[in-house]
Amino acid sequence: MEFLGYITLSIFVGLMLLTLFGYIRTPVQTVLVLSTVLCLIVGGVFKYIAYGWDAVALLPNEFLGGIILHPITALLTGLFLAGGLKASGGFEALKELLGYLRRSPIGLVGTLVILINLPVISSLPCGRILAAALLPLLFTFGFEGGMGILTKSQLIVLIGAFTRNSMGSCGPSPIGGVGQIAEGFLGSFFPTASDGILRAPQAFALMLGTAIVALFLKFVSQKLYPNDVALRETPPGFNMQNRSDVQVKAPVKGFIALAIFVVSLLIAIFQPLGKMPVQSVLVAGALLMILICRIHLNDLLEGIILLPVTAMAAGFLAAGALAATGGFTALASILNSLVAIKALGVAGMLAIFVQFQTILPLSCARILTAALVPTLYLFGPAQFDFLSWSQLAIVMAAYIINATTSCGPSPLGGGGMMGEGTMRAETGFIKGAYTFASMAVMAPMAAIFMKFLNLSVFQPSDPRFVRDILMIGSFALAIAGVNVIFIFLGSRIFNPSASRNFLVQLFGFLFSGGLGGGILAFALFEIDITKIFQGALGGVIAAALIGLMVPKTLSKRLTATLAGPTI
Amino acid sequence: MSDREGPPKIGVKRSDASQPLVLPGIHRYQFFSNLKDRGWTLNLDRVALFGIVSALLATVIKPLLRGNPATIYCYECRACYATQDRCPVGISLQAELVVAGRVLDYNRFIRNGGLKCIRCGNCQSYCVQYLPLPKMFEVMQQETKQAIVAGTVPQESLAQGLEQGLIGKEFIDDVVKAVS
Repeated sequence: MEFLGYITLSIFVGLMLLTLFGYIRTPVQTVLVLSTVLCLIVGGVFKYIAYGWDAVALLPNEFLGGIILHPITALLTGLFLAGGLKASGGFEALKELLGYLRRSPIGLVGTLVILINLPVISSLPCGRILAAALLPLLFTFGFEGGMGILTKSQLIVLIGAFTRNSMGSCGPSPIGGVGQIAEGFLGSFFPTASDGILRAPQAFALMLGTAIVALFLKFVSQKLYPNDVALRETPPGFNMQNRSDVQVKAPVKGFIALAIFVVSLLIAIFQPLGKMPVQSVLVAGALLMILICRIHLNDLLEGIILLPVTAMAAGFLAAGALAATGGFTALASILNSLVAIKALGVAGMLAIFVQFQTILPLSCARILTAALVPTLYLFGPAQFDFLSWSQLAIVMAAYIINATTSCGPSPLGGGGMMGEGTMRAETGFIKGAYTFASMAVMAPMAAIFMKFLNLSVFQPSDPRFVRDILMIGSFALAIAGVNVIFIFLGSRIFNPSASRNFLVQLFGFLFSGGLGGGILAFALFEIDITKIFQGALGGVIAAALIGLMVPKTLSKRLTATLAGPTI
Repeated sequence: MSDREGPPKIGVKRSDASQPLVLPGIHRYQFFSNLKDRGWTLNLDRVALFGIVSALLATVIKPLLRGNPATIYCYECRACYATQDRCPVGISLQAELVVAGRVLDYNRFIRNGGLKCIRCGNCQSYCVQYLPLPKMFEVMQQETKQAIVAGTVPQESLAQGLEQGLIGKEFIDDVVKAVS
């Protein structure tokens, strides 16, 4: 039966790679369902031969177990509420509040920084909820959106960074976020893990990674793909100052809707009224909006975006079929066999493992996380004993931030596509920036944060906060500093040759990947030169796989739009 | 522009709009033919979407009809794993039992120790939503027992459960009978 797992894993990975590289041109949910059906057919044949008809009859029940209902329903209710907010003028109210904030001492830049980090501040169970609500608002900051505060280049950075922050905010969410899956497993040793042992490392890494994404989009992506964003430049002679001073007046019901939205989120997160599902709170908020703000059910339904819901559900089906036919067991065996390679060892294998979901980005992080976190758990004292509990927590922190951010760069209906759509960019525009930040900054930073601070908090036998915070600060400076230098150097040596630029970018990925892998190994095994070398090699291998999948050029479809008549 | 030329004509041309409605917004034959802008086949996407919706409905409706509705509300956040050694029979992956109960996966339930659970409720206090875990496990235990008696649970699974000490005393007679 082990052979069956390898077959179904090959079917799944093969179909996903063919779709990622554009050889299969159907919506992602179709490919995922196809993968499910193929795996079930092959699994059914094998099970019939091995165990008889009863085992085949139970196969549908086994694969349906892959479906996780919570993110699907939470996303639907969140989108529901966003629809209500839009219909009642809640976004106009937010615009007005942002206007006040912009005129405060923090100014425009400070306001935008708060706006970009709003997803991680609110930490909803799916980043798409807030992204769907706020991306149209961000678009209005540009010339085409009406406010004309930002140039085209600035708007690309704003939308890209905000979307990055959104598609990762499901990680630290305490109301059914992806990170809670790993926290649950760590709860097997750390009694208070489910209170949020992974939350701070993820949030910190995400904020730092968002800043790196902003720089990457500004200095690398816009140079690599100069003709693939259809946003219009501000016309010469256009008076930006006058436009930006235009006062936005929101209706009173917009402020009420915004207040209901915020209060609903606070109740869902802090649960002052007792334990209740986030969905119930959000639906209650939506009903209040209907009653108080006089909006209709149709307005709420308009907020729903079906693609992420169906893509996520299809992903769960595919993962369920893989689990039912031993595909994930086969994957664990493959990873386990990597440990036997001397140049890689445990450190190298883990450096590849933590990047796995960025290598194979799917439409929702939960699809693979639900299957790979148990595998990672088995690397600890529970089975293989490669890692102690503290080391397992460090790897979990690095893995989870990398996993939760993987829906951002996914071209298979990932959340980042919402950002690309809003900035009128070709699919794949943001992939380099998003994967680079996840791989080079977020994963090693989360590991360092976990090692030097969170483990002290959750296992307070040896608290040395000042030293630990200084260590985190120095590592953050080093990781961010090196990668910022790479980004600046890369931007200086790019030229019109796409092939040369691609190679330059790939080298940047390899260096940063090696650095990230080395830091992860240091966080796990401290100053052990062999292990650090193995980690760096694993990081380079993962970076090569990630870097090679960043598109060299994008489609020229948008060139025709750009060459069209001016507005 | 190549976009204006459109895809090559396939089969008989028929106006979808002239066909009677079979579902809101969907005309007859749209299910089976006549759409030219699909991928490998004309209807693969529709079939896939139908499959996804059916699977979601099955996941929700089955537990409702079987009297185990609370399983639908599980976040699958695994906070219950913090029960650790406060579980008197040593079950370590409680969320697996909830999922098994939702979809009626006997193998998963037995493999994770569902048949040795004594429903003490210690794990319930760790649930972020305080779901009635003992009640959910009890319903699934009874369903598994009926399936064992009816002979629909694979012998392999039961034999493994016996070997690994995963069968509680309430169910041991039925399991031994089924295996023998």
